[in-house]
Amino acid sequence: MIPGGAEAALVGIGLRAPHAAEILATRPPVGWLEVHTENYLGGGPAPRALERIRRQYPIALHGVGLSLGSAEGLDRRHLARVVDLARRIDPMLVSEHLSWSIAGGAYLNHLLPLPYTEESLGLVAAHVTEAQEAFGRPLLVENPSSYLRFRDSTIPEPDFLAELARRTGCLLLCDLNNVFVSCRNFDEDPGAYLDRLPPAAVGEIHLAGHSRNEADGRVILIDDHGSRVSDDVWALYERALERFGPRPTLIEWDTDLPALAVLLDEARRAGTVLARSRAGGGARDLAA
Amino acid sequence: MTSLREVQSALRLALLGGDDEPARAWIRGDGLEPVARIAIYRHHVGATLTAALRATFPVVCRLVDERFFAYAADRYLQIEPPSGPCLFEYGAGFADFLADFPPCRPLPYLADVARLEWAMQSARHAPDAIPLSIGALREMAPEMAASLTLAIDPSVTLLSSPYPVDRIWRVNQADEPEPAVVDLGAGGARLEIRRCGDDVVVRALDPPAFAFRRALAGGAGLAAATAEALASDPMFDLGKAFTELFAEGLPIALGHTPSPGGEEP
Repeated sequence: MIPGGAEAALVGIGLRAPHAAEILATRPPVGWLEVHTENYLGGGPAPRALERIRRQYPIALHGVGLSLGSAEGLDRRHLARVVDLARRIDPMLVSEHLSWSIAGGAYLNHLLPLPYTEESLGLVAAHVTEAQEAFGRPLLVENPSSYLRFRDSTIPEPDFLAELARRTGCLLLCDLNNVFVSCRNFDEDPGAYLDRLPPAAVGEIHLAGHSRNEADGRVILIDDHGSRVSDDVWALYERALERFGPRPTLIEWDTDLPALAVLLDEARRAGTVLARSRAGGGARDLAA
Repeated sequence: MTSLREVQSALRLALLGGDDEPARAWIRGDGLEPVARIAIYRHHVGATLTAALRATFPVVCRLVDERFFAYAADRYLQIEPPSGPCLFEYGAGFADFLADFPPCRPLPYLADVARLEWAMQSARHAPDAIPLSIGALREMAPEMAASLTLAIDPSVTLLSSPYPVDRIWRVNQADEPEPAVVDLGAGGARLEIRRCGDDVVVRALDPPAFAFRRALAGGAGLAAATAEALASDPMFDLGKAFTELFAEGLPIALGHTPSPGGEEP
């Protein structure tokens, strides 16, 4: 039983290697943990530790390497490795990104943006379907943060995601920090973005921090997952819960990793916002 | 998929080769030049792949300092970008790259230190394997002994160097209080690197044991591996070496060379 009740059970944190021993020793009151799939695809101590932690917490597998938007097709060998890990871990969910990172056989280690066209929609939908068949379960697909857009794009990103979910039956992982970063970088309204997503398709929410940088005198927000969730994104979280209803919510932190207590503090805050949104009565129940 | 392929190969060229020209035509400005937008992505790709290499090769980084390491890593990742998304598998060719990288010539031992760090990284993430019991040999016909091959625990690397790379590695650990002087002429190293439990263990082997194990790990039959060991030391004790091999859990499967006896010296 998780102290804090149903709301706390919905909130998870990203599991990073430096925190693993402390989490096993202290069993902090979070509902679930998310790991980066690609860190656990070898043998040895890393997957062994994950199997130990799995006995204590539900695990979400969050992939960065499927490259669902690669024109050259899915890397089937990689997909098979992820499917094998999913078999061993029995995750609560498997998620990936609306992006590409492989071209000409080179892995570019970035969630690169796609032109949003009918061509890329058809391609990503085919890859999502292929992956879902391999996993035997729906995939959650996350909206990326972006710093550039393509001249050829004809479909707004939330519409692209909504149509992807409609065609493939995938769910959406709504990363609110990414929504905020991308919209601010292109002078758009993050609230209006949320309004275009189909609530029933949203299966998970991500919260993270970003940084402010200057490029040629223009402020660019960078999704670096290296600080606390900003007040703007907390406000967007309230709005998202109002529109989508309560959803599993993850606190994500990757660079300048702080003490575990800081992540737990952010998780508590998310639980408080969730509880308030329920008490407010505006929230819908979890979509079936 | 012509246009999407074109966009992606243009961006690949911009992110790894530094040539923005083909990509910029596809990108909207929106108040910031396309090249400045590409630069945001290029910075991330370079910084994170360099960080991945630094995590795998911390002693190489310490030996050449952060700035030179970043320079070398940047050159390397353009020539040999990762071929897959598991970054713990990235860097297999870094040692060979350093060996041929002209600015590294004053440090002739550097590539072998990188080979040692790569062997440790490979050991850490190698597939789990179940050691074979020596009892498995009972099934074998005695006349097949000469051509017997042993599949070795996949975490094992046998590494030799004309430099004392194990000592160089040890004195460059972060918890080592004082920078020590390593005599490069003190003799080379014959090392076995493998994972035992959750730990990576680096062990110096004597010359015949090293020759024996390296030959077996390379797929040689027992007769050929024994010949290698005897060439290194005529007093080589096969029975002892063989028992130790099984006691340490190195063999994981038995096999035979294609033509029995063909491996005879």
